[in-house]
Amino acid sequence: MAGPSFLEKAAFVVFAVSVLGGALVTITRKSAVAALVALIATFGALAGLYATLSAHFLAILQVLVYAGAIMSLFVFAVMMVSHDDPHPISLSGLFSRVAGVLAVGYLFYRVAWIVVRERQTDVLATATTMPIPDYGTVAAVGRLLFTDFLFPFEAISLLLLVAVVGGVMVSRPSRPTKDGGAA
Amino acid sequence: MLSRLHMIPLLPLLGAAYLILFGRRHSRKAVQTIATVAVFAACVVSLDAFFFGLPAVAHEGGIVELVYNWFSAGGIDVDLAFRMDPLSGLLCLVVTFIGTLIHIYSAGYMAHDEDYARFFAYLNLFCGAMLILVLGDSLPVMFIGWEGVGLASYLLIGFWYKETANASAGKKAFITNRVGDFGFLIGMFLLFRATGTLDVQSILGAAGSGGPLAAPLWLGQSVAFWAAVFLFIGACGKSAQIPLYVWLPDAMAGPTPVSALIHAATMVTAGVYLVARMSAVYMLAPASLAIVAIVGAVTALFAAIIGFAQNDFKKVLAYSTVSQLGFMFVGVGTANFAGGIFHLFTHAFFKAGLFLCAGSVMHAMGGSGDITKMGGLGKKLPWTTRVFQACWLAICGVPVFSGFFSKDAIISGAFATEVYGHRLAFVGPLVGTLLFVAAFGTAFYMSRLYCLVFTGPCRADEHTQHHIHESPASMVFPLVVLAVGAILAGFVGVPPALRELFGKHGESTLSIFLEPAVGAPLEVSHHTEWLMMGLSTLAALGGIGMAYVFYGGGYRAPAIAFAKKVPALVSLVRDKFRIDELYGFLIIRPLQALCRIIFQVIDRILIDKILVGAGAFLADLVGRAFRFFQTGDVQRYLAVFAIGLAVLVWVAARPASPDEVLLKVQGKTVTASIEGPRDSALAYSFDFDGDGTPDREGANPNATWTYSGPDRYTVTIVIQDSRWHTRRIIKRDVEIR
Amino acid sequence: MPGTYYILLSLALFFIGTAGALLRRNALFVLMSLELQLGAGSLALLTFARGLGDQKGHVVAFFVMALAAAEAAVGLAIVVSIFRVRRKIDLDTVNDLRN
Repeated sequence: MAGPSFLEKAAFVVFAVSVLGGALVTITRKSAVAALVALIATFGALAGLYATLSAHFLAILQVLVYAGAIMSLFVFAVMMVSHDDPHPISLSGLFSRVAGVLAVGYLFYRVAWIVVRERQTDVLATATTMPIPDYGTVAAVGRLLFTDFLFPFEAISLLLLVAVVGGVMVSRPSRPTKDGGAA
Repeated sequence: MLSRLHMIPLLPLLGAAYLILFGRRHSRKAVQTIATVAVFAACVVSLDAFFFGLPAVAHEGGIVELVYNWFSAGGIDVDLAFRMDPLSGLLCLVVTFIGTLIHIYSAGYMAHDEDYARFFAYLNLFCGAMLILVLGDSLPVMFIGWEGVGLASYLLIGFWYKETANASAGKKAFITNRVGDFGFLIGMFLLFRATGTLDVQSILGAAGSGGPLAAPLWLGQSVAFWAAVFLFIGACGKSAQIPLYVWLPDAMAGPTPVSALIHAATMVTAGVYLVARMSAVYMLAPASLAIVAIVGAVTALFAAIIGFAQNDFKKVLAYSTVSQLGFMFVGVGTANFAGGIFHLFTHAFFKAGLFLCAGSVMHAMGGSGDITKMGGLGKKLPWTTRVFQACWLAICGVPVFSGFFSKDAIISGAFATEVYGHRLAFVGPLVGTLLFVAAFGTAFYMSRLYCLVFTGPCRADEHTQHHIHESPASMVFPLVVLAVGAILAGFVGVPPALRELFGKHGESTLSIFLEPAVGAPLEVSHHTEWLMMGLSTLAALGGIGMAYVFYGGGYRAPAIAFAKKVPALVSLVRDKFRIDELYGFLIIRPLQALCRIIFQVIDRILIDKILVGAGAFLADLVGRAFRFFQTGDVQRYLAVFAIGLAVLVWVAARPASPDEVLLKVQGKTVTASIEGPRDSALAYSFDFDGDGTPDREGANPNATWTYSGPDRYTVTIVIQDSRWHTRRIIKRDVEIR
Repeated sequence: MPGTYYILLSLALFFIGTAGALLRRNALFVLMSLELQLGAGSLALLTFARGLGDQKGHVVAFFVMALAAAEAAVGLAIVVSIFRVRRKIDLDTVNDLRN
């Protein structure tokens, strides 16, 4: 197995830095709009990472769906709702929440250790030759979707329908009922 | 070409469907046109099939049309198929023809009603269902029609549902029918069990003396007997015989055209049709025929007596219908199937005519049917009166009018029949005599009706008298057609004795026509014929005469005197012998009590208190406990989640707990060994002397150490997993002596 | 590029996402951080998919994306409607489920 080429390494570094940087920026902004922009950049970089993993179909989807559709949703929501917040970090119950973050840090440590330890195994030392000629393309993934994964595929479409209906139901303006409560 | 039988029920059903969905958008004229055209078209198709298609195949079972194989499961194979043979063809014509007339009449009668479209939709629905019943070639298909007409009847009786009484009447009809339907189903099941088929022709074919239907079943009687009896129970429900007749008088709460169509000419005749259709089965068990005949005769007489004292126009006609249906059942019950069907045929005309006259009269009297306040309408309603006269004479059995021939056929048949064998031979003359009395009664109460309504001075008040007027042409036209039918319909059934007079020989046209379907006509000697004709004419005239004595021109002295002498009897008869009250006492009150008990015990106590209460109590307890942890802060929940995850990972990643940790002591030497599954990533380190530094290290799970002096030592064993970089610490105490 | 680096990146991204989800006050930020977490998960899935040469990971990542979309839609709808009533979406004040 030959090692990664310079281009591969460079691409990875660029995208990785963008992802991490974007993520950090996202969670540390006071303004929701700024955070959104950073998030979009993060997802874009993430799409690039997917591409380097030969997951072409998913990379495009990431741009279209995540960075496109989902972020549009967020933009609308931010437009309707947000106001800049002088105290972005919430203080109540801080202890347990920091403990939670530390718990995930522990998780990070554990998994990182084993991943680094086992980095020589095939799984983690990626092959540079494609296992299947059309790996990661729309056709190949689509084939799987419509054969082995047909049932989850249909279930997901039902889920999306439910989400749409649920979203509409939840966000209907409340009508005052006779006793003055919200509808 | 037009002999597509499925069109016959289909057209009215389509009309019904369309009118239900879109009827309200159309004008009244459009609605009535659609509905009438639907039924009329069915009539045309029936006529075409009857006259052009049927004669060719009448002797091979008639016209058959298989629509599709309905279901075929296990041992049952049922097709949706229609058959027009002489019997069903005749019924078809009656239903569609009279149906068309009623539709025309209704256009005028219901003109001021709000729910115009709904009415016509239900009428069409009824016609469609009745046609399915008549044309059905297998019992399940007939049952669809059977239930369908029951439904339509319920809907139409309770048409003006805003009045509770009307809705209750509809309910009563439906429920009483239901009881009968239960009998129908049992009969159907018995037939299926014996023959393995539900197809009518196949069942009739299996009704031979050595066949499956003749096998004994219960109490020494054959399958055929029990099936016949249960089917007859169904017929009693539909055709209002004892004990299931109670719904028919109440059904007069519906609009009069409904009474004319459903409760005179068509639906109530379904029971008679059923018996005639299954004639072969009944013939196999003469005892069942005896039951049919006796029930019919008793009902005929009983209902006629009730009719003596009724004061509502339509109620008189209702009991008259029950009575006349009794006549029909005597006809089929004496194996005189052609005779029974003949009376069905003539009765359709004159009874429908009578009901439509009732509608006319009530229309004129502003909606009231109280005959005590009528009188003298003969002058004011000329057309109605003439039609009534024609139908009245027909039902009384006055010669030349249709009723004469059909009643005579039945009564003669009753005396002449030999179907019962030796032991039950008395049944024939018995029912014949009962019918004689009933015929006399029929003439009496119908003439009473005529006299009180149409003759003498008018007993209504000024205001009502002012409004009396003849009905519009759209209502008069069907009346006249029916009157003509009432007069002429009898001529298809002229008995052989009379035919001789005109140079024709053999049985009547109708009997010969029906022979392929119901079997050979009953032979009556000419001697008996003449005798019966004479006696029944006497009975008819006698009844009319007596009615005239009592009621000619109004309430006359004999009537008033009689009422004064036995008021209790009069009120008993007027209250229909209080049968409804009896049913209420015997059946309905106990049922309601039972329901109350069930409600109290099971619902209130068992379910509400115990099942629901206990569950709720437990849930409350548990909920109280958990509520303590709910702070409402989502992020805290997430944090707890993450912490839990970390704990899980920690537990999963540490080296497995060993099966055994053994410390073998031999003098001052200790051998520690860890028992458990081997794993190449595990490294063991042993600290024997408690100084904090491992004394033995490596992949070997066993280690040995020699102590210097006796003491109690703590051995610390650390198992390390190099992959996960986790470890497990185990401490054990060892005593060295 | 060896998969190890991808996994480490995915872990870091997940960590950042969790920090955002647990520490920020504004509900919208929490939702955004959740999306980061899901992205981290997808990255790990795709990495192992390539390592194993098996495209099932792609399919699952596809489903994750659909789920994220559904969740974002409904979550945002809820946030918006809470905002309509209370005029703020600070998670420390929106704790009606207390007790």
